[in-house]
Amino acid sequence: MSKVTFIEPAGNAVDVDVADGWSLMQAATSNGVDGMEAECSGSCACATCHCYVESHEELLPAPAENELAMLDNVAAERRSNSRLACQIKMSDALDGIVVRLPATQV
Amino acid sequence: MFSFDPYSPAVDADPFPFYKTLRDEHPCFWSPEAEMWVLSRYTDIVTALNDWQTYSSASGNLMTELPNRAGSTLGTSDPPRHDRLRALVQHAFLRRNLEALAEPMRAIAREAVAEIKDAKEFDFIGDFSSKFTVRVLFAALGLPLGDEQTVRDKAVLMVQSDPKTRAKGPEHIDAYNWMREYAAGVIAERRKNPQNDLISHFSMAEIDGDKLDEMEVLLTTTTLIMAGIESLGGFMSMFALNMADFPEARRQLAANPELIADAVEESLRFNTSAQRFRRRLQKDVTLHGQTMKAGDFVCLAYGSGNRDERQFANPDVYDITRKPKGHLGFGGGVHACLGSAIARIAIKIAFEEFFKAIPEFRRVEADLPWMPSSTFRSPLRLVLARP
Repeated sequence: MSKVTFIEPAGNAVDVDVADGWSLMQAATSNGVDGMEAECSGSCACATCHCYVESHEELLPAPAENELAMLDNVAAERRSNSRLACQIKMSDALDGIVVRLPATQV
Repeated sequence: MFSFDPYSPAVDADPFPFYKTLRDEHPCFWSPEAEMWVLSRYTDIVTALNDWQTYSSASGNLMTELPNRAGSTLGTSDPPRHDRLRALVQHAFLRRNLEALAEPMRAIAREAVAEIKDAKEFDFIGDFSSKFTVRVLFAALGLPLGDEQTVRDKAVLMVQSDPKTRAKGPEHIDAYNWMREYAAGVIAERRKNPQNDLISHFSMAEIDGDKLDEMEVLLTTTTLIMAGIESLGGFMSMFALNMADFPEARRQLAANPELIADAVEESLRFNTSAQRFRRRLQKDVTLHGQTMKAGDFVCLAYGSGNRDERQFANPDVYDITRKPKGHLGFGGGVHACLGSAIARIAIKIAFEEFFKAIPEFRRVEADLPWMPSSTFRSPLRLVLARP
């Protein structure tokens, strides 16, 4: 288990404990975090689990080609720290990661 | 002694009491009848879906697999091959690329509704949903009209299994072979006369100089047709069943069609038609005190994970205000349903039109004829009557 802090669109910080190997998207949807849609259930096909990674960014593997292609389709502003939450798998190294969710996903 | 036999008609009819016992007492259960392990808790299923290296799809994903299919379709291959196959077809299934289908779908829905709108009693499946789904699929894939009814009948037959032999029967294999022949004909036609449609692109696509092999083109096309008809139709009938059984929800939806989308999500959780899929272990895994061996098959019971009280409060209550994010109605992970966006759009449009003409109805048969299938769950017939 490691900890993620989601910052919901309204500004609330929500701490969630996540099992290793679960994605940030699953951590958010299974805990009712606001601001996450994840329409495609994690197959990197919808760009509705967009998030801004605010810490630990240097520890994340670079986005793969399919994630980069999908990031072209996000609804909110795409920033340098934009990622798709379904593609980030939790591990001990990411314990304490802070992730901000955008105002809109669709 | 407890048993869980996914081939038993009792499980076809009502798997939910079995699931509860599985979750509470046998969360990692060996089913001798299915010859596989059964995982039934939400978190165990999600963990398995995330770990495709351990829980492989390459030996097949249907509980009762069709012959020589494993390894050549999206659902039966693992990354990286899977990701390359999926990249070829995914584009066509993105929501923004489906918008052009909305108006044709609405026209199809209106046409299908017009055929039943004056009937006092009708079979939702035979008289409405099967006509709607097959025509939508034919429009989406650009298939030539003429064979719709046969294609639909074969799609429904090929997903079934024989409750006595616990295998595919000759009629199911014949239906599958028929569908392969049909797909082969369409592919050959499109290669000769390419058009701007999915099958034309797919049958001629190359990724990084690597072409799909003939079997991949053929079996992926076969699966797309099967899923487009059977899976969409199966879920539509479950949604209609919920609307018959929960009249308060139905009246809210008929009065305010904006609510249909949330009710669809709750139905995907409550009693999705895709109840169970399987994986095969690539290494030993110990879970809840049981050791599952490399090479063993594992059933992921999505329908049970969706009723897990550890994840969803009051799981046996149908609540259209629930917004059950993270449900397993479309599976999850790299193999999550390719058609989820088109399914959501099609169902919303179909029921907007359906409720406009038929806002009030009830179900006629208390006991439904359930499809014999170890993977999917939906009725073969759903007779509805108007007041």
